[in-house]
Amino acid sequence: MDDIKIQVRGLTKRFDDLLVLDNLSFDVRRGEFLSIVGPTGCGKTTLLNILSDWWAPTSGEILIDGQAMDPKVQNLAFVFQESSAFPWLTVEQNIQFGMKEKKFPPDLIAQRTREVMALLGLEEARNKYCHQISASMEQRVVIGRSFALHPDLLLMDEPYAQLDIKFRFHLEDAILQLSRATGSTLLFVTHNIEEAVYLSERCVILSNKPTGIKAIRTIDLPYPRDICSPEFVSIKDEITEMIKWW
Amino acid sequence: MKHTSSHGSFQEPWWWKLLPVASVALFLAVWHGAALCNPAMLPTPVETIRSLFDMLFFPTTQITLLDHVWASLRRVLIAYGLATLSGVLLGVLFGWSRNFHDFVYPIFELLRPIPPIAWIPLIIMWLGIGEGAKIAICFIGSFIPVVVNTFFGFTTLDRTYLKAAQVLGARQKDLLLEVVLPGIFPNILAGMKVALSAGWLCVIAAEMIAAREGLGYLIVRSMESGNMLNILVALIFIGSISAILSFLFSKLEKVVCPW
Repeated sequence: MDDIKIQVRGLTKRFDDLLVLDNLSFDVRRGEFLSIVGPTGCGKTTLLNILSDWWAPTSGEILIDGQAMDPKVQNLAFVFQESSAFPWLTVEQNIQFGMKEKKFPPDLIAQRTREVMALLGLEEARNKYCHQISASMEQRVVIGRSFALHPDLLLMDEPYAQLDIKFRFHLEDAILQLSRATGSTLLFVTHNIEEAVYLSERCVILSNKPTGIKAIRTIDLPYPRDICSPEFVSIKDEITEMIKWW
Repeated sequence: MKHTSSHGSFQEPWWWKLLPVASVALFLAVWHGAALCNPAMLPTPVETIRSLFDMLFFPTTQITLLDHVWASLRRVLIAYGLATLSGVLLGVLFGWSRNFHDFVYPIFELLRPIPPIAWIPLIIMWLGIGEGAKIAICFIGSFIPVVVNTFFGFTTLDRTYLKAAQVLGARQKDLLLEVVLPGIFPNILAGMKVALSAGWLCVIAAEMIAAREGLGYLIVRSMESGNMLNILVALIFIGSISAILSFLFSKLEKVVCPW
């Protein structure tokens, strides 16, 4: 039981007559990298919005460490599909934002800021504003801001959707590195199956609406993963087969 | 023609820098030509400039030109300061509190389209013809754009910022002070910029109706005495001060809002 970080129990979300999430139940282990994949429009983002406490579920519950989820009590972080770096803060101030909100001691804030900026290659841009840096760098700032908290749970909603493939690969490796360094539990929503197989230890595959869980696939390939290996391709094809709607 | 830009790698042709000078020179030439055609209706630029210097050092309508300028400017600055503080507060309340918005906004929408100058008779009846009345008219002119722009900032603020801050642990007070206010700050500044021009416009109008000093008063007194030179000098000062205030505000904007 101690190994379980998050318990999602009977989660249902309905918007008027539209049933979006239908009785979802799954667990996330402590420090696990779990991906959620599913057909476009199946409600992946809705699920994350509920997990981040932004929307209330129609029924069901989410427990973190056995307690009802509360972002003010638990250490959560969220990386959105669109950039959420605050344009009025510099790169460094953005990274420190969550730590300051949570009243971390100043020396810890300074140390974490240094570590995160070094890992993500942001030192040169520390005093720059978002309009002075590239989209990829801006997303790195948001990822760094979340990891700097060493969150209990980090929710990521297609954080690379806006980036080109070169930066994607670079950031995927950076995330793996950061998740190991911080020991955070990661819940990663994506429509990119290759990305899910590359990053995660398990993958929750969602069905079309009303959305339920089709399968939970363990990906027991060693890191760093080779996207051309037959095992990798086989898992990718298997998941693709499960979610394809065409 | 080849496109050039100060931001791009293209080189601007040397004569581009002369365009503003050429434009002013052309304007003065046309003015001079028109004045020569009908000297009774329009003084020449040279006469006007000469008159300007006279007015700077010798009293006109009992005080010097700079005293008139300062009288107008003082009224604008007092009204502008009050309008900015109260306008930002009201705009923030409209955005922050749904109940307050629903209760007060209909009244604001009813009063908003009334031109500030239309309030002049009522304000004079309420406050007399002293400083208070002119500042009040100026205040109305400046207040509305600040409220409108501040509230517009709220409605267009990207909700992702609020969501991100909330998940990162920001409480209501932090959301307001650390996300909403900096997030809408560019809109507040835009409102303040419009308000400055509006306040300047209103003070001149108010002074033309009831005042003993100020540029508006100078124009009316000059009209009564048929002194076209003084009117032109006052107009030049109104335009120049407004342009200088706008320029200074743009510079300040870059310093206080570098993003």
